[in-house]
Amino acid sequence: METARHKKLSENILDKLSLDFLRNQVLKNAYGNDDTVIARLDPRILLAWYLVLGIVPWFVQDLWFLMGCFLLVLVTTKLARVAGLVLLLFGVGVFSQTGYLFVVSLFFGGDSSTIAPLLVLTLKVATCSLASITVFSGLDPDRLSNGLMWYGCPERLSFSISYAYRILPMLMEEFQNILLSFRMRGNPPLHETFRGKIRYLFYQVKMIMQAFYPLMLNTAKRSRTTVEALEIKGYRYAAVNKTVKKIKLATLRVTYNDLLFLAVSFLWISLSILASTLF
Amino acid sequence: MNIIEIEGLTFSYPAADKPVLQNISLQVEQGDFLAVVGNNGCGKSTFCKTLNGLIPHFISGDFQGSVQVGGLNTLKSDVGTLACKAGYVYQDFENQIVRPTVLDDASYACLNYAMPDYRERGREALALCGLEGHEEDYVWQLSGGQTHLLALAGAVSLQPDVLILDEPIAQLDPGHADRIYQVLRELNEKHGKTILVIEHHTEYIADYCKHVLLMKDGGIAWKLPTAEALRRVEELEACSIFPPQVTQAANQMRREGRLPQPCLLPTTVEEGKAVFAGFRYLPPARRSEPARRSEPGQGSEPGQRPELGRLAEAASPEAVVRFQDVSVAYRSVKGEDRVVFDRLNLDIHRGEKIAVIGSNGAGKSTLMKLMVGLLKPASGEIFLDGESIRKKKAEDLSLRISLVYQNPEEMFIKDSIQGDISYAMQMRKIPDFAERTSQLLERFQLTALQERDGRLLSGGQMRRASLAIGVALNPGILLLDEPTASLDIATRREIQKTLADLKDVTDTVLIATHDMQLVCDWAERILVLSGGKVLADGSRDEIFGDRRLLETVGIRPPEIFSMGQALDPQALCYTVNEFLENFQEA
Repeated sequence: METARHKKLSENILDKLSLDFLRNQVLKNAYGNDDTVIARLDPRILLAWYLVLGIVPWFVQDLWFLMGCFLLVLVTTKLARVAGLVLLLFGVGVFSQTGYLFVVSLFFGGDSSTIAPLLVLTLKVATCSLASITVFSGLDPDRLSNGLMWYGCPERLSFSISYAYRILPMLMEEFQNILLSFRMRGNPPLHETFRGKIRYLFYQVKMIMQAFYPLMLNTAKRSRTTVEALEIKGYRYAAVNKTVKKIKLATLRVTYNDLLFLAVSFLWISLSILASTLF
Repeated sequence: MNIIEIEGLTFSYPAADKPVLQNISLQVEQGDFLAVVGNNGCGKSTFCKTLNGLIPHFISGDFQGSVQVGGLNTLKSDVGTLACKAGYVYQDFENQIVRPTVLDDASYACLNYAMPDYRERGREALALCGLEGHEEDYVWQLSGGQTHLLALAGAVSLQPDVLILDEPIAQLDPGHADRIYQVLRELNEKHGKTILVIEHHTEYIADYCKHVLLMKDGGIAWKLPTAEALRRVEELEACSIFPPQVTQAANQMRREGRLPQPCLLPTTVEEGKAVFAGFRYLPPARRSEPARRSEPGQGSEPGQRPELGRLAEAASPEAVVRFQDVSVAYRSVKGEDRVVFDRLNLDIHRGEKIAVIGSNGAGKSTLMKLMVGLLKPASGEIFLDGESIRKKKAEDLSLRISLVYQNPEEMFIKDSIQGDISYAMQMRKIPDFAERTSQLLERFQLTALQERDGRLLSGGQMRRASLAIGVALNPGILLLDEPTASLDIATRREIQKTLADLKDVTDTVLIATHDMQLVCDWAERILVLSGGKVLADGSRDEIFGDRRLLETVGIRPPEIFSMGQALDPQALCYTVNEFLENFQEA
């Protein structure tokens, strides 16, 4: 009974981690939340906000201030309705950065006093990560690239960002199909025993690696048309034409909401600084 | 006024031993709707790319002669200026779409050429192409036909005088195909655009185009008004272009002396009505077997007709695949999940040859993926040989059931087709795999190509290779997803022959397709999928005889069938030969 449930759980996780799910999460992350408060903000304002919250915490040791920043980005992440997978990756990421240190220190005779310095580090990492998540996944790729362009990033970079999001679902679908080809025609090792399971894992990793070769060739074949189409659509003209940039950036507008967002953030951080001086 | 003027155009790709285009001179009048036809590799696509300046500005090679489009010499203008004169829609149009949302993509070119009203132009183009209301959609939400219209809108937004489309309907179901051509006709008639299509479907040429240009070995054989062009049956067939079936039938009759010698061959069903007016439907069945069904579309007792009798016989043993209340939904990026099947029930019996039809997105591919275990149903059960496959992995089923994808490229996982065909057998340590591989190569006429990478083969060769991969493990059930999509008609018929040969090799075969000629020639049972359900299930007489069904699902029967029906509502002729046999002089 217990093993049966165990198996169910592991199957369930595998099911969740299917490429189909990944594809869906990527799309969700990029475009599924364009109606949130964060997504409607001006990308320039949000990028400036990110610069502050992404850099300043590294130079501050004060627990109150860090805690304040952390809570702020926690709220914005919630507002941005970030996809579950990204949050999971964030959790795993933070733990692998600092969490394990705490476990290790406990092993070597550390006690709760080790928590405080580790907490400071964890808060720094977590704040920066969440701020990045808010900005890069809360904004849709086009608004993000327009924002970057305003700050003087080359046009090619901003095109690449939005094109990557355009092409990624297609690539993943293709990759999925190629993997399925391997699965249908391959003959995986039996995986009832523990050793079999290990072998099965290796088999799958090998398959994933082998699937890249056909994927690359198929992509190369597809991109011939894309490159020609870009040429016809004047992509190269736009890259050197200043007017195009101006037209593109004309869509950006700072609104009342942006100012409100900045004001609330500013107020909150001031409060946490105040708290740190009081206590 | 001539919008296109070409004088002595010769072009060869670098390192090619002979030119692709040879001494082409041509004038195209403004407002023409021109079909470019010719066999594979005769230089049609290359020719079209000289019109928008991609050749020689982007694709280099040896270029001689002159090409003028809208008064501009392509040698002296750049690609950007020419793009505003001639728009281009590729055959693999989905790769032409570079932006994530519809309006963005439609207006992208205008933005790049710094037109301040780029959004309005994009909107206008979308409206012209029948995509209003989809402005804010993401491109992956569109159906195949809508994606093609978007690619067209991207070209139209620059307001070019000339539009060039490379095989616009090769991948679309008939409903979407009609839509595309209606949009093109409107652009041509109301907005004065000159349109060039590379097209293999002569029925569409007969219905929509004004002139036909035949290319042969890199040169131009002739340019003629459509009706006159399509009547040159022998010349077209020599270039592996099949004239409309109505024309073929009339030509055959004329040759046999059943039609008067100086007779103008019909090119459409309408013209056919007049030409065949003196003929009566007299099927041999009606003469020898009195029990021929009398009224198409109405229910009839099984066993009455030979075809149904055979079906009933096959149905009696066991169901090899059974769908029981199967529901499937895809996760969507936003909002509700998209339901593909809602409590679907279906039995597939041993030895059946089934065609699955339905519009794009009706769930044909999903049905197949469910059967091979690549997709699990949200609820319900699928049984293979009586046992549920819910717990099975795709690997375990592959000896019994095999799926050939729509896109053959995704089946090539090795660097030679010989390696691809033997892969599954090698992995399963089948002792005589080498021998079997060479047999398969022989059978599918691939022996000479066995060391080549599958991706570099021609369309027809790729299909044959993917079929060989599919039958390598000798599965009892073979599933083929669109085996004839995006092939020219000649190659289609070639694959159709291969499929007919395969009938003896594999017991049970299921084909998902839009190709109604294939359905009529090959299938013994037809499933019509629509709205998440099996809407109809039966023999070809039952499906094609049911006019209401054809209209609701948007099935376009083979032209010769419609011709027969137009002459006699009881006529059920699926091929030109059946038509010739069953219609007699009154």
